[in-house]
Amino acid sequence: MQSNPVDNSQNTENLFSPRFKSVAAMAGWDEESILVASLIVEDTPERQFKHKKRSDLHFKTPPSTNTRRKRRDQKKSPISVPLPILNLDEEGELVMQESEKKKEPRIAVDDENKLGGDKLAKDNPDASCSNSALPCMDKLREELSCAICLEICFEPSTTSCGHSFCKKCLRSAADKCGKKCPKCRQLIGNSRSCTVNTVLWNTIQLLFPQDVAAKKESGWKTQKEHQSSERKANNDLISRNVRPSTRVSYRNTSVHHQPSTRVSNRDTSTSMWNQDEEDTPLVQRLRRREALERLIQSREASGRRRRGIPGQDEDAALALRLQREEFMEAFGGTNHEQSGNSLSTARANLRVMASRAAISIHSRGRRPM
Amino acid sequence: MNSQGGFSMAGGGGGSSATATSSWVSPTSVSSSGKRIQREMAGLNLDPPPDCSAGPKGDNLYHWISTFIGPPGTPYQGGIFFLDLIFPIDYPFKPPQVVFKTRIYHCNVDSAGNLRLDILKNKWSPALTITKVLLAIRSIFTHPDPYDPLVPAIAHLYLADRAKHDELAAKWTLRFAT
Repeated sequence: MQSNPVDNSQNTENLFSPRFKSVAAMAGWDEESILVASLIVEDTPERQFKHKKRSDLHFKTPPSTNTRRKRRDQKKSPISVPLPILNLDEEGELVMQESEKKKEPRIAVDDENKLGGDKLAKDNPDASCSNSALPCMDKLREELSCAICLEICFEPSTTSCGHSFCKKCLRSAADKCGKKCPKCRQLIGNSRSCTVNTVLWNTIQLLFPQDVAAKKESGWKTQKEHQSSERKANNDLISRNVRPSTRVSYRNTSVHHQPSTRVSNRDTSTSMWNQDEEDTPLVQRLRRREALERLIQSREASGRRRRGIPGQDEDAALALRLQREEFMEAFGGTNHEQSGNSLSTARANLRVMASRAAISIHSRGRRPM
Repeated sequence: MNSQGGFSMAGGGGGSSATATSSWVSPTSVSSSGKRIQREMAGLNLDPPPDCSAGPKGDNLYHWISTFIGPPGTPYQGGIFFLDLIFPIDYPFKPPQVVFKTRIYHCNVDSAGNLRLDILKNKWSPALTITKVLLAIRSIFTHPDPYDPLVPAIAHLYLADRAKHDELAAKWTLRFAT
């Protein structure tokens, strides 16, 4: 035991070149830490180089006579770690890395998608699936599916009882089937304020990027389809009983085409729509106007796409045409509507027309033609 | 059973025809219900519940036909029962309508084929699927519910004289379902 420090120093002297030691000393490493560090197997190229050098040195060192020291060396010294084992370790690590890669091909695909790269991987999701041969992917798909639409949860919202559904699905379920959890029938709180489970949503986006992208795309399409009915309902609501100033403000928001405002508008518009459905002459009027609306809107949309700026002109034109028609109808429909009501509507319409005209003139003057 | 292949073939055209017939419903709800029905159909073909099959009748995705084989060990053994399943346009938020097309002596099925099943009425949940509905229907073959009867006379007999009830049910099965 007394010879231990000597042994160690001898060992290290043999192990490391004086140059290496001086570098290590400059870095503030003592010999022990160098030894410990050299025990740690890494697969970096520099490391391999070091090992090689060290083993060379090892072969040069004369075999020690002390059997006890030999045992100690085998137990503790880094020299005792034979090279073949080291190589095995490296191979094992490589295999592990490969298997890790195999385990998470989806994530790899996702990364590629995020970088906007590899179209092949994107086009053949099935191929990447079969490569993975991962049974838990199916389980995950099942687990992360919404029980209502049976697709991968889109913007999942978690109930107070712990079940997750698409936010939209949960909302519809609460509206149409009562405020009970579709899975366990427990009473759920205010579904209006249901929020997206961010962690779950991010996880789903990472695991199933293709599904999410597909659904996003279809979601946008349907939203565009919705716009016509929305507008119709909103217009009607506003022209009936809201002051012109409010109408103008709504118009301005609609000009910018912000999806967030659309979504928030939807609830009110649909509820108003339901109210309107009750009195039939109004519904008839709406239906008649629907065709015109759609036509104008499509033209409007194309115009906007072409120039990429909010087409206030078209907007104004649309509003004017609608107002004109409404105006005519308001006067024409005095027979079957209360005269006082229609008169007030007409007055409101006139006011709106005036304000719209002013705005259109203003915008025309401001914009370079 | 052999008709299942045909059912899956018919799935594609169903959605469009349904969209055409329902002009007053918003297009989103139609497509989402159609999508869900198609998904359920695929799942059902992959993993069909025991003793029964179901699939669209013709090219209408919203009108299915289902067959049940009377489970062994019940008086309905040996019979084949046909059922109609009609999906509402706002499925899965509203339950499908299930009607027995084959006459059956059962306290929960009346002579018109109407079926009393709580999950198809007030206990419906949008998380329920056709597979679960089929399993529930299968369970009333083996376990009639005389405490919530549609035909009280049969329920009464079921409770009072089970042997007589079973005998009658077997007779009806032989007469109408084979």
